[in-house]
Amino acid sequence: MIEVENITRRYKSSGRGIEGVSFAVGSGEVFGLMGPNGSGKSTLLRVLSTAMAPDGGTFRVDGADGLREKRKARAAMGLMVDRPTHYGDLSGWANAYLFARAYGMEEKEANAALAELFDYFGLAEYRDDRVKTYSYGMGKKLGLIEAMAHAPRALILDEPSLGLDYSSQLAYEAKVRELASNGVAVLLASNQVDEVEALCDRVAFLHRGRLVETGTPEELISSIKGIRRIEATLRNPVDYASLGDVAGVEHVTTEGCKLVLQCEDRAGIVADVVAGIVGAGGDITDLAVRRPSLEDVYVKLTGEALRDAEG
Amino acid sequence: MLKVNPPDTYWKKDVALFFGKRFSLVIKLLYPMALIVPVAISDIPAQYAAAVIGIVAIMAGTFGAGESLTMDLNDGILMRVALTPLSPRRIVFEVLAVNAVLDFIQLLPALLLVYAFNPAPLVWVLAATFGVFATLLTANCIGIFIANFTQSPADVLLYATAILAPLIYLSGFFRNRNPTGLLATLRDFVPFAYMNDALKAVFGVATRTAPLEVFVYPALICAVLAAAVCLTAPRLLTPRF
Repeated sequence: MIEVENITRRYKSSGRGIEGVSFAVGSGEVFGLMGPNGSGKSTLLRVLSTAMAPDGGTFRVDGADGLREKRKARAAMGLMVDRPTHYGDLSGWANAYLFARAYGMEEKEANAALAELFDYFGLAEYRDDRVKTYSYGMGKKLGLIEAMAHAPRALILDEPSLGLDYSSQLAYEAKVRELASNGVAVLLASNQVDEVEALCDRVAFLHRGRLVETGTPEELISSIKGIRRIEATLRNPVDYASLGDVAGVEHVTTEGCKLVLQCEDRAGIVADVVAGIVGAGGDITDLAVRRPSLEDVYVKLTGEALRDAEG
Repeated sequence: MLKVNPPDTYWKKDVALFFGKRFSLVIKLLYPMALIVPVAISDIPAQYAAAVIGIVAIMAGTFGAGESLTMDLNDGILMRVALTPLSPRRIVFEVLAVNAVLDFIQLLPALLLVYAFNPAPLVWVLAATFGVFATLLTANCIGIFIANFTQSPADVLLYATAILAPLIYLSGFFRNRNPTGLLATLRDFVPFAYMNDALKAVFGVATRTAPLEVFVYPALICAVLAAAVCLTAPRLLTPRF
């Protein structure tokens, strides 16, 4: 179980950070943490991973005080940072073995757990290759193995699926569900909406250092009835500022060559949006009208997009 | 047989990396010989021969730990290791000890050639060998201390020069050979000085330092330095944001 009470941490240089963040992740629960760059997500994870002391507040990991019993808290925790680093001149197995032993596993126990996880994540074939020859996705999988091998009671994962191929992502999601069903408390920081909606029992939104909403994905999504999400894929980039003037359009963002619009659910809105895009010179190659997602909830609550976006 | 790969402790990781890169290993073993052996077989005055060996030991030690630590800190891998239940002080102690031993392994072949070309009483050979090890340990302590203040391997070089220059002066490698007063007192606290005296003895120059002093004083000084450096571990292994 992870209990977070009133955690505050401000950076003197920028004044940014987190303010009075409280939540709890129960045993067997997968708890999602969402927020754009600068929302305080990384700061919160740094505090919870014991890398950084908070200015105020407390937290406990599996009963261990994260400030006074750091090593006990660390032992109970599996941790994957967003960009896992490894010793490039050692093999993947050697890296994972070093971490497994650092977490107190015995030789036999470590070998058995690692063999199973290397096999599960499809790295068995590459276990003796030097990590510097690994792809980014393989490095991420190795990071997951290192986080999970010692059977932690709490798992803290920062953008774990970023860079994973589709089958690896499915495997990772299944493994997280399996661990949760065995009682592990999982804190998952991710802005991958599909992943969070599929995996998380509850989700919290961070905005400018504060928790602005917490709930199950269903609760949060159903709280914004009356919103439509229109996704238009364009052949060419357009200046879409004028779309904000279309009646009922609340927010416009881009995701690659896609325009994503959060709109009121009113009659004729799709036609008006299409007309607006065409009027701006856009050549639509694909158009989808979807039910709202957690991203739309975030936009509705904060007026800002979850991912890097303009508009 | 000690198994170092896969490593089950931090120091074994360093050993595995040291012996794992063969080309780099050959270079590491050859460069001390390339610098020391010509000096050992030449006719240059004994004090300069001793000074050259001393400088090579100091540089190898300081840049060894300092550079590898700052690189690991920059990569973020050391921070990740620091977030395991391992004690930060233990990690730093392992870094210190293993780097000193690995540096010693690098210098040992060259030292053996020095002894072969310059036969000396066994007690001085042992004293010089221990003096070199104490120097490496001290230099590694300095390297780790510097890593507390920088994350750039290039800065390690700069800061090391600033710290080492006065220590080398105090040790009497090139100047200040017969210090008096405060300089003489300060010299007694620098392990490099004992190594220098022992090496000079190996090269046939009489020294006021007794062999026993080369074993006792540097050992005590190194123990204090190692403890002090290990105390910096929580700061060293805390991410700097």
